[in-house]
Amino acid sequence: MKKSCIGLLIAALGAIPTTGFAQVKVGAKAEAGATLDADAAGAEAGADAKAEGEGEGEGDASAAGEGDLGAEGEGVGDICKIDPAACPVLDMKKEAARPIKESIYAVQQLYVMRARRFEFNPWWNVKSLNDQFVQHTGPGIGINYYITNVLAIGANFRYYSPFNGDSKFNGQVRRAARVAVPLTEYEWGASLDFSYVFANGKFAGFGDFIFEYDAYVLGGVGALSTRPIAVIDPDNRNFEYKPKLAFDVGIGLRIFFTRWFALNVAVKDYGYPEKLESLTVHEVNPGDQSTWLSKSSSLTQNVELQTGFSIFVPFSFDYRLPK
Amino acid sequence: MIRNPRFKTRLLTAITAGLALLGVSEHSQAQELYLTGPLAGAPAVRKLRLYRKTRFEIAPAVSFTLLDEYQRTIILGARMQFNFTDWLAVGAWGGWGGLRLPTALTDNIQAVNKQRLTSQAACSDPNTPGCNGVNLTKRLTEVNLSRNLEDQLGGIDWVVTPQVTFTPLRGKLALFQSIYMDTDFYISPGLGIVGLKERKDCDPCAGQFSMVSRTTFAPTIALGLSFYVNKWSALGFEYRALPFAWNGGGFDTAGGGKDNAFPDNKITSADQRFRFNQMMTVSWNFYLPTQYKVSE
Repeated sequence: MKKSCIGLLIAALGAIPTTGFAQVKVGAKAEAGATLDADAAGAEAGADAKAEGEGEGEGDASAAGEGDLGAEGEGVGDICKIDPAACPVLDMKKEAARPIKESIYAVQQLYVMRARRFEFNPWWNVKSLNDQFVQHTGPGIGINYYITNVLAIGANFRYYSPFNGDSKFNGQVRRAARVAVPLTEYEWGASLDFSYVFANGKFAGFGDFIFEYDAYVLGGVGALSTRPIAVIDPDNRNFEYKPKLAFDVGIGLRIFFTRWFALNVAVKDYGYPEKLESLTVHEVNPGDQSTWLSKSSSLTQNVELQTGFSIFVPFSFDYRLPK
Repeated sequence: MIRNPRFKTRLLTAITAGLALLGVSEHSQAQELYLTGPLAGAPAVRKLRLYRKTRFEIAPAVSFTLLDEYQRTIILGARMQFNFTDWLAVGAWGGWGGLRLPTALTDNIQAVNKQRLTSQAACSDPNTPGCNGVNLTKRLTEVNLSRNLEDQLGGIDWVVTPQVTFTPLRGKLALFQSIYMDTDFYISPGLGIVGLKERKDCDPCAGQFSMVSRTTFAPTIALGLSFYVNKWSALGFEYRALPFAWNGGGFDTAGGGKDNAFPDNKITSADQRFRFNQMMTVSWNFYLPTQYKVSE
């Protein structure tokens, strides 16, 4: 039973990517039983060509040219029969070869419409980018609702507690220089954010396949639960986690595999006021908790590299205008 | 014949899985679009601006090291390469790392160090009451701390990295739906040749804090984005990893005890720690000749 279940699982895994790709592959050889309306395909591929700003698909030119010749040939003939003086003299080949100067958009139709869709974004904090002493890795999840195509409101939650990594380097410095650096570890974090998609783009891979991406910025407010790691007087001090007000800003990049599934990489900076462990030990009563922390708070920044996925729900959407 | 009572269930499940697999492959074939019209065989992008093909690239660059423990290095340099095709180039990046900024850790250690030295001066007689603590600390750190910590810190003097650059992705970017730029993404693996300055090996080491230069080799890889501003120049952002072992703090941290994981009061190669050295680079890329080619 177990083996057959594994078989089913493999089948299901295999099915996910194959059903998702919305990008068409252009250029494959025709096969029996797999034909496609050439005009429709031309429009799809031509959009990419036009989008480069200079490109004009060969298919567009030839297909349009032939269509025009046939249609105008009949129409012109009728006019000439009724009124020969009004009969226009046109070199249709020359007219067909004339360059067309139409309005061209760099990105003609957005691959993904986000308006009124939810985005579920599970991620992993891969690295703390500005803390060489303690790494704050761990999982996180964000949920965004796109009010418009570019603006979203959302919430996220991060869990650090078992994943804080006190570097071996800290102990080596303490031993070598007899100087202890106050350290901090995190328990959890949560925030409410606004995010704004400021850039869209597409990449052609090896000139063969095309994928889309977008870039966004976000900012918000929330809480971060932290505590000092006792390094100055670990024999007497034991700190409890306490939530602090935290602000965050970030920038991210989504690479779309389908119209609802994307790789999401972001760099976010969480700023919060931190009371570090006091560098002095009370000589008479080192167990007095009021002496364990420094008197003033210092603004601490935690810059994280987060890598995860974005899943947009509902999975499909309609464009307001045809392509 | 004795059969397992669950045989039927297993058989049915296996057949279902097999059919599912067959169904998947059939379905995936249907995802391909086969064109019979004039676009059959056409490339994904026509009239592509070939910013790189057969062009020489000179890119003045400034690099900033990341996650430094004792001091940050700013490397002034340039990347020079020849692009044989739009996706393949051969060249090198190099720079001079003479600009260094101490981190907060260095400042903290030096502040304590200075305080100790001041206290030590007043305690010329070790038998003076109250001086023992300071003297003990002084003895424990005499192998590791000079009068000024910054003078013993290791640093990158120069770097040269012969490299190959692959540009697999080429695209465009719409900023606020009003600014449009051609972009590309590249990967540059190569060999890093690094000129370092480190604390010189010593035994005994108390009061010995002279520095020495050495050259080391390391693999390197860079990932970058180019944003083409016009036909002959682009703004570039690049991340580079350059992993190698070195003694950044000039401290005795290893060489003795179990697994050589404890100090041995000597400065040797055992005190070099492997670091995944990283940096971010900003560059302005110039392409010669100034006119690009355009694909069919």
